[in-house]
Amino acid sequence: MTNQRTTRDGSHGTESVPTQRSRESTDEDHGCPECNGDLVTDEDRGETTCGECGLVVEEDGIDHGPEWRAFNAQEQDEKSRVGAPTTNMMHDKGLSTNIGWQDKDAYGNTLSGRQRRKMQRLRKWNERFRTRNSKERNLKQALGEIERMASAFGLPDSVRETASVIYRRALGEDLLPGRSIEGVATSALYAAARQANTPRSLDEVASVSRVDRGEIARTYRYVARELSLEVAPTDPASYVPRFCSDLELSGDVERRARDLLAAAADAGITSGKSPVGLAAASVYAAALLTNERVTQNEVSTVANVSEVTIRNRYHEILDAGGEPGVEA
Amino acid sequence: MTDPKETINIENVVASTGIGQELDLQSVAMDLEGADYDPEQFPGLVYRTQDPKSAALIFRSGKIVCTGAKSTDDVHESLRIVFDKLRELSIKVEDDPEIVVQNIVTSADLGRQLNLNAIAIGLGLENIEYEPEQFPGLVYRLDDPEVVALLFGSGKLVITGGKEPKDAEHAVDKITSRLEELGLLD
Repeated sequence: MTNQRTTRDGSHGTESVPTQRSRESTDEDHGCPECNGDLVTDEDRGETTCGECGLVVEEDGIDHGPEWRAFNAQEQDEKSRVGAPTTNMMHDKGLSTNIGWQDKDAYGNTLSGRQRRKMQRLRKWNERFRTRNSKERNLKQALGEIERMASAFGLPDSVRETASVIYRRALGEDLLPGRSIEGVATSALYAAARQANTPRSLDEVASVSRVDRGEIARTYRYVARELSLEVAPTDPASYVPRFCSDLELSGDVERRARDLLAAAADAGITSGKSPVGLAAASVYAAALLTNERVTQNEVSTVANVSEVTIRNRYHEILDAGGEPGVEA
Repeated sequence: MTDPKETINIENVVASTGIGQELDLQSVAMDLEGADYDPEQFPGLVYRTQDPKSAALIFRSGKIVCTGAKSTDDVHESLRIVFDKLRELSIKVEDDPEIVVQNIVTSADLGRQLNLNAIAIGLGLENIEYEPEQFPGLVYRLDDPEVVALLFGSGKLVITGGKEPKDAEHAVDKITSRLEELGLLD
């Protein structure tokens, strides 16, 4: 009885995990409501306080972790209040049953030949039952595709989840007819990555997708308009850390590049310019200013923009940043 | 400060008409001097007029599209030339076939740099399309007049989709007043 109650509480807890997570991150974004200081979470006390003024922003926080301590794998399973979370990344939200492939019973003994054949038949029908109609088969393929591309980019689960939700909405609103599953899946991922401020450029996306850049761009515009995703224009600065680390440049360069981009935006020379090109040029310019050698060729390879673009932009960026007269 | 409306310049006018009978383009192409007809490239016959400068696309169905003219008058003028040419080939064309203007493309200049990022947010992301990765202009679709405006960082803009020259003026008026409201035109 008690056990059942805790189980229910537990599953409730899982559902609220994503919202909880997103709220925490917005807390961090906004900071303390009084003084805008950084928030500190004390997990022992379950309190969130402001590191500057000491204001308690949240108390009696909920611990979403499993019950008590567990000392071995068996106890961990017993004391866990939660099952696997539901996820939009699987076509059935991870709610279906899978029949294991091992042909062993609960004790680990090998099944008899008769049972083995039975499990084989059950497995076949389970698989057929899991994807009953074309919509589910469609979802299965698309979500698999999203998963594959997100892995290639090393995008976190939150982005994959968002991409999956965007795809589900597109499917629900009948945007698929006339467009390819791969195209819509790719643009869902592209949109999700941009919304999470970890944008991947269209060229990068096209390099792992099964459809070409033109189709991705077209489908993305269509999906974004129909679902009113309202994705803000990409901030060039969000590419900077990735380019810097790919080029093995120091944090100094990264900071300098951000400053240059901010100055360029203030000077109003970024309107209508490709964010990827701006980011690449600012990284190149910042590396020059901090005497770390990179060639335009290296930057252009990493950023997937042409050297000409970098050359054209970095002069403008240096001028706007008040650093004229620096030459390569 | 000059009024942006004074910088309005019509760049292209597209109009359609028809002569109400099917044509054998192959023989028309033979007889009509200066006509380009390559059915593998394009199913229509292209006939270019020099004064006013424009191109008329003549289709097998007898429908004619005239494009490239710089004003509505020019469209009528060049279509009149085309009709006369066809009459010379003893193709029957009634006196005044109806000419419908389909699209007018206009350019204008707001006279100062625009911060497209701020405009994108200000006009509302649901009303505009701004993808600097794909196209440097900001696409703004107006409901009244029903035109599409492309705004560029240089302050220049292109207005397309209008059916009459007045549409462009209204659009420029609307855009300037919207941007002034938002304080984005200093």
